[in-house]
Amino acid sequence: MTQDADTLTVEVWRGDARGGGYVAYDVPRRESQTVLDVVTWIQQNAEPALAYRFACRVGMCGSCAMTVNGAPRWTCRTHVRRVAKAGRLRIAPLRNLPVIRDLAADLAPFFNKWTAAGGTFAPTATRDDPPAEISPETPQRAAADAGIECINCAVCYAACDTVAMVPDYLGPAALNRAWTLVNDARDGGQAERIAAVSGGNGCANCHSHQSCAELCPNGLSPTAAIAGLKRAAGRAWLRGGA
Amino acid sequence: MTAADLERHNADILIVGAGGAGLFAALHACRAAPELSVTIAVKGLLGKSGCTRMVQGGYNVALGPGDSVERHFMDTIAGGKWLPHQDMAWRLCETAPVRVRELENEIGCFFDRNPDGTLHQKAFAGQSFDRTVHKGDLTGIEIVNRLMEQVLARPVERLEEHRALALVPDRSGEALAGVLFADMRSGAFRFVRARAVLLATGGGPTMYRYHTPSGDKSMDGLAMALRRGLPLRDMEMVQFHPTGLLAGPDTRMTGTVLEEGLRGAGGHLLDGDGRRFMFDHDEAGERATRDIVSRAIFEEMRKGRTTPNGGVYISMSHLGPETVRDRFGGMVRRCADSGFDLAAGRVEVVPTAHYFMGGLVCDPETRTDLPGLYVAGEDAGGAHGANRLGGNGVANSTVFGGISGDTMAKDLAGPGAPFRNPDEDLLAAEIARALHPFGRAGSGGRGGDVHALRRRLMDLMWHDAGVVRTAGGLGRAVAQLGDLKAELLETGLADPGRVFNLTWHDWLNLRSLIEVSQAIAAAALARESSCGAHYREDCPDEGDPAAASFTVIRRDGGSLDVSRAPVNFSIVQPGESLLGEDHATLAAV
Repeated sequence: MTQDADTLTVEVWRGDARGGGYVAYDVPRRESQTVLDVVTWIQQNAEPALAYRFACRVGMCGSCAMTVNGAPRWTCRTHVRRVAKAGRLRIAPLRNLPVIRDLAADLAPFFNKWTAAGGTFAPTATRDDPPAEISPETPQRAAADAGIECINCAVCYAACDTVAMVPDYLGPAALNRAWTLVNDARDGGQAERIAAVSGGNGCANCHSHQSCAELCPNGLSPTAAIAGLKRAAGRAWLRGGA
Repeated sequence: MTAADLERHNADILIVGAGGAGLFAALHACRAAPELSVTIAVKGLLGKSGCTRMVQGGYNVALGPGDSVERHFMDTIAGGKWLPHQDMAWRLCETAPVRVRELENEIGCFFDRNPDGTLHQKAFAGQSFDRTVHKGDLTGIEIVNRLMEQVLARPVERLEEHRALALVPDRSGEALAGVLFADMRSGAFRFVRARAVLLATGGGPTMYRYHTPSGDKSMDGLAMALRRGLPLRDMEMVQFHPTGLLAGPDTRMTGTVLEEGLRGAGGHLLDGDGRRFMFDHDEAGERATRDIVSRAIFEEMRKGRTTPNGGVYISMSHLGPETVRDRFGGMVRRCADSGFDLAAGRVEVVPTAHYFMGGLVCDPETRTDLPGLYVAGEDAGGAHGANRLGGNGVANSTVFGGISGDTMAKDLAGPGAPFRNPDEDLLAAEIARALHPFGRAGSGGRGGDVHALRRRLMDLMWHDAGVVRTAGGLGRAVAQLGDLKAELLETGLADPGRVFNLTWHDWLNLRSLIEVSQAIAAAALARESSCGAHYREDCPDEGDPAAASFTVIRRDGGSLDVSRAPVNFSIVQPGESLLGEDHATLAAV
């Protein structure tokens, strides 16, 4: 199919929880243009009813992830040049999550699992104490820091084939957060957290397909974090069994 | 749709907004009074909307040996050009150390450390001590992610993707009954009756052609307060950041911040011909303060010495591309994702509206003039005066958010804080007001162009009420804002459905922005002097700080009433310092 170099052909999934399908729009190309800009152009110029979600527009809030040509992406930081194939884009809501409408997914299951995986710091000190003196160079802190810059965009969750097959699986982001807390010397909730991630929906489900690490926009590796959790869970089991 | 079709429910405490202020208020309220029901409503997703999350620089706090609350306070007062509410500024500086320890020890934030394990505090503009605690250049993400986790783990009711439409008083009009919302996902209207309401929607001056705040920000909080006749102060005080990314039309990247540190590290600003120009304007060159650099760039743009997209360039490559990549990896990656090479090339930049110093009048305990209504964060006026120091924004939202949670819990323990029934007529009128654009589609069911109106608003405010102001421009702005409002009211929506109808919300955003813009222009016209972020080309004199007064604006029926109130120098007088002579000299610079 020939394609005008100045125009993108963009297929956008339209629908809701009951179902839907793709609708094609022609969008003018711009030198500076992200996938979010393409979606915005359609809403502002062609289809005022198009539903999608964004907030910060610079890769900090993690609100705007969508499926772009088959892979989950943060759309505000994904330049069209990087993903368009022969002038075509196909945009859909994130998979593994319920659809609200069009490109907006319901992230409630994702955040419920964040909490269920023990992704909440359990304090051992108070505001009356000085901040803990922890060298950033300790291996434990380095392990925590390696995963801490997660923006909970759910790209990894949508990329994960295990979540697709085991819907109750806690998923890469929640387990990655749990691993950063396992390595937080200040945290007092370790036993509960290890129990939470060792259950039937926990880290043992991961088959190290690495889709999460390949697609994380911040270059984190939930796979490595989950491997760490498996080791920690194993040690806890041995201690418990001794 | 009438008030009878509303979904209604009750909460002892209702928090509107889920940035640093809203999340902290929820945690403090739960801790101070676990028996109370707490509801938090947010326009986007919990923890993802708002501007605290976007904080790059860090958090100002007097912790280090040699620093003091007094020193932080004096820097804040001097930076604010003696206009801050001194008791609020004091409260800010005094509470910041407690709040940072709370963030570290109870919430779970881990800020950057020195090699010996103590907190690292960096230098930041306008301060006499290295006191800015940070997490790399993504401090806000660490703070809001950790706060979000704590709130998610508590029995706090969450109303996500709920847009606040109106503060609804009781029949007497003397006290607040609750807040009307649109549930953006379902399109339903919901009234939450509450004994105490915290307004923490954040400011965010997105009515300017170039702006940094999150796209969900449209100053709904101040628009709602204005409509209820509440007093707003310092509404002319809009802070511009000198280096927003300029990426051309039709991209949401335009306006987003390229960090201050780039200039501090030795970055050059170049005009369209590649000539450095900052030394024509100030002997500090690119390292001059935000307001001076913003005005200098604006001046170059007015003279037409611009880049292809109408701004100037920032250039870092003379420092060595590898050095730039090492020191500013996040910025280099962000620019690369957008198609620009910050390390080795030039990137187009432009001044960009960043922060709103003005806001609702309140006391240091976050109480407002309306019983039942509290305010914190960027919706509250007073703490920053005419200018906010970098690093004082997140301190402000978290300090006063926490105070508000404590204050609401305390006030609800006493008598005089009952559930009040809303004025049903006003509730019905507010619903009708929100539905205004439906059913106004033109021929063939085509809606009007809300986005073209938004662009006109942003151009108008940029040219006539922005970095450089004159009486003529501001007068034009006042007149044209009225025209824009009238045109908006004639603009309908093509899509009759209310489910996740972004274009409806764009329409509502624009109405809030126009109404707050009217207050900005009126206050800027009334202040016939230059002070901090407010620069009047026709009245460049700064005036005597000892005679400083702040503007107060109220809506009275259909018109805006601007008055002036003298600053109460309750802690320190202009020319004096809590630190003795050395600092008095610095503060006068």
